[in-house]
Amino acid sequence: MEKRFASFTEEMYTYPREEGSLIPLLQKAQSACGYISPAIVETLADYLQLTESEVFGVASFYSQFRFTEPGRHSISVCLGTACHVVGGGTLLETCERDLEVKPGECTSDKRFDLNRVACLGCCALAPVVKIDDDIHSKVNIIKLKEMWSNYE
Amino acid sequence: MNLTIDNQKIEISRPSTILDVAGQHGIDIPSLCAHPELTPYGGCRLCVVEIEGRNGYPTSCTTLAEEGMIVRTNTNVLQEIRREVIQLILSEHPAACLMCEDVEGCHVFQGTIRKVGITTGCRWCPKDQDCELQRIVEQFGIHDLTLPGLYRDLPLEKYDPFFDRDYNLCIYCGRCVRICTEYRKSSILSLRQRGKLTTIGPAFDETHVDANCEFCGACVSVCPTGAMSEKSRKWWGKPERMEPSVCPLCSLNCDIQVLTLNEKIVGTLPPGKAHESGGDLCVKGRFCLSELVNRTERILEPEFRYPEGYGIVSWDFALEKVREIIQVVPAHRAALFISPDLTLEELYTAGFFGRNVLETDEITSSCLDAGLIAYLKLAEESVSLKEFEKAGTIFSAFLNGNYNYAPLTLAIKSSAGEGVPYYQLGWIADTTSRFARHRFIPKPGEAESYLGEIISFLKNGKCNSPEISELAGSLKKEKRGIIVVGTQILSLSNGCVMLDKIRQIATLTKSGLYMPNPYGNLYGMLSLIRMKPVEEVLQQIREGRIDLLYVVGDVPFTERPDVKYVIYQNAFPPPKGLNPDVALPTTLWGETGGSIRTDSGTIKRFKSHAVSHGYARPHIEVFSGIAGTKKIPKAGFPQKTIREALSGAISLPATGPGKQALSAGKSPAPDRKFPYVLIQEKNPHTYSNLNLGVAISAFGELVMPGHLILHPMDAGKVGVKQGDPVILHTPAKKLRCKAAIRKIIPPGTVYLTSVNGELEFENNPCYVTIKRDHV
Repeated sequence: MEKRFASFTEEMYTYPREEGSLIPLLQKAQSACGYISPAIVETLADYLQLTESEVFGVASFYSQFRFTEPGRHSISVCLGTACHVVGGGTLLETCERDLEVKPGECTSDKRFDLNRVACLGCCALAPVVKIDDDIHSKVNIIKLKEMWSNYE
Repeated sequence: MNLTIDNQKIEISRPSTILDVAGQHGIDIPSLCAHPELTPYGGCRLCVVEIEGRNGYPTSCTTLAEEGMIVRTNTNVLQEIRREVIQLILSEHPAACLMCEDVEGCHVFQGTIRKVGITTGCRWCPKDQDCELQRIVEQFGIHDLTLPGLYRDLPLEKYDPFFDRDYNLCIYCGRCVRICTEYRKSSILSLRQRGKLTTIGPAFDETHVDANCEFCGACVSVCPTGAMSEKSRKWWGKPERMEPSVCPLCSLNCDIQVLTLNEKIVGTLPPGKAHESGGDLCVKGRFCLSELVNRTERILEPEFRYPEGYGIVSWDFALEKVREIIQVVPAHRAALFISPDLTLEELYTAGFFGRNVLETDEITSSCLDAGLIAYLKLAEESVSLKEFEKAGTIFSAFLNGNYNYAPLTLAIKSSAGEGVPYYQLGWIADTTSRFARHRFIPKPGEAESYLGEIISFLKNGKCNSPEISELAGSLKKEKRGIIVVGTQILSLSNGCVMLDKIRQIATLTKSGLYMPNPYGNLYGMLSLIRMKPVEEVLQQIREGRIDLLYVVGDVPFTERPDVKYVIYQNAFPPPKGLNPDVALPTTLWGETGGSIRTDSGTIKRFKSHAVSHGYARPHIEVFSGIAGTKKIPKAGFPQKTIREALSGAISLPATGPGKQALSAGKSPAPDRKFPYVLIQEKNPHTYSNLNLGVAISAFGELVMPGHLILHPMDAGKVGVKQGDPVILHTPAKKLRCKAAIRKIIPPGTVYLTSVNGELEFENNPCYVTIKRDHV
């Protein structure tokens, strides 16, 4: 983590020191470190001569930025109309209960983080659960629990 | 430009918004988010108007007036839209109280305190009846809520000092965020997230203290609802009077307004209308002053020390005892210590009293040491704050403007924000640091060499560091440079040497100087009274040449020195070890009127706002009470008027040779065993020699006197949390104290402000090591 943070700060200095660099730098930081940590906000604020509140205010406006550390694997449960109708909510609840994690957060062993998404664009396969880059279609609770074991 | 608003023909010369034009011509358009100091926002949608030839209902605060416009502000349709907007606002704002049938009686009798559910009730609103939303609701005569309530159930934020926040009452007008960003340029508050999840506050869920908030209270002043409220006067009720006054807590002496209720000071505000006045004050003027005068630790009655202990005595008895003491003390064997926070009238009388009644020349003030005298010598060449507008370069050295000197930091920030190069030398990350092109953070011993390099660049044009050459070059080229020096320099080793170097830099570059100090009327004191340096008087006491120690508002000793008599005249009780023979209670700022000489030389007057505590008397009354006998004739007391006495120039006491250099300890070389740099500072916030950080607990949460302040990164390395005990080691000394974790200092540096005005370690800055104290 520290290594990735160091490589990000090195890259940061190639950007001009102006407000306009904020969003590109936030994107860079998120792809390098996985999330926007308080340390990143502090570093960016210092470099761009903004306050931490300003940086956080901009970052939190956009849903693309996350502020909690991601797990090793990322579960996204679709709650779009089609998935919702065929039980996406139950899948999300199962994840919350069995993995002891809330949406937007990460399990205590850092194995999974859980997210809810509005639509993954493959409504014919509903209900859909996405783990990392794999789309799992027509998921039910039993299938869901089996899937977890493939991701350590 | 001509336009018509509500059939009134209006001519304007400058471009401005319809809302402003209407307001200037007596046409009232309701609004909750507009604010004269701030850019238009268009958030509340109450100021909608109809403009002929335009579709829809534009908000007048964001629409510029144009030639030939025909505007209507008060049609039935507009009123209907506004009522609907208010309903929308009230659907998220607990408003049951506004609709309650008993609302009128409730203000008087509090008869229905539980008339509505706690969650949606108004019990968190402050009791000052100062709510713009409430006024709007009354103006529109809204008696029913037509939309279902949407209570956000946000937790009440009570953990920061001085003000509470209940964002359930917030209507998202954005005034607090805008005043923090635009006017104060602090940007501590921001709108976080968006849509219905929006909240207001610092980054992540940091407290305001951790976010380095200045606690200037600007956000509280402009809030149109009760979402932000002052802790100290939340339940006081509606203030009766709002009177102009002057703040006595530093040399800038800002104009303030004092809120009083039942002859008590309940709060202070910056000048201007309530809710419209901006954030012109610092935390001391905005919040500390009222807490200071309402402090419960006061002497209420004269006290006399009998052989068996203290007894409360009458004023006549106490004054008689003082007279007896004065009569047995021969001339020139009394020492008079005077506080630089008194009014000019009090100071003049005190000086007269010292010369003619005590018949002594040993008049001083405990702050008036060689360091401060050297500082004031340089400060005689100070420029005024207005010069900052024209400044070409600003360089601040050892300024700690976080809880201090608001007009100064605002001037620096607004100049630097407009592109004037600003450089900062020192360790403390204050509110101006963000605007600095470069921050020079010296290691022990380096501060002096930084200044030395600037001088050598100015003289020879050579310098190794590109940043320093940039700073020196900028100061030299622009010719309109201003150097700001903070009193922290007086706590540093070789402070006087550095002051001299700063003087050289100022002369070489023809820069102006600006040097604030934390004393309310120091310039007034020095212009009225010829004083001696405190070291000389202390020497006299040590040599046993003083019989009587008379202290007026000053507390030079915590232990009773070796003198025959001690007379203590102050509003606050004496320190336990002082054991004065007579203690005379006096009034404080605000309880008597007076005048103050500011650092720019102007005289500001203020009147008394409150009744005095207990049997306290004004200083002047005490002096003339003592002087009412044969030996001490009252007739010639005082002879000259203050205005005559204020000759204009201040007279600084001369210091003897060899006393110029402050503790000139050598800084040891860095050592792996002692990796941290310790910066110490003598108490920078005083009133009547009272440490404000100790006297006002809420202010103490900000400045943390006696606590070792660490950067969160260092705290993680050492393994300490907020409030943990730590041990500080230098090769020579060990000190135990508590840790406070704040971002006001850079990693690798730790910061300690003293409780009693003495430095714990000889060298400052010095290398230390820190360990968690396992007790």
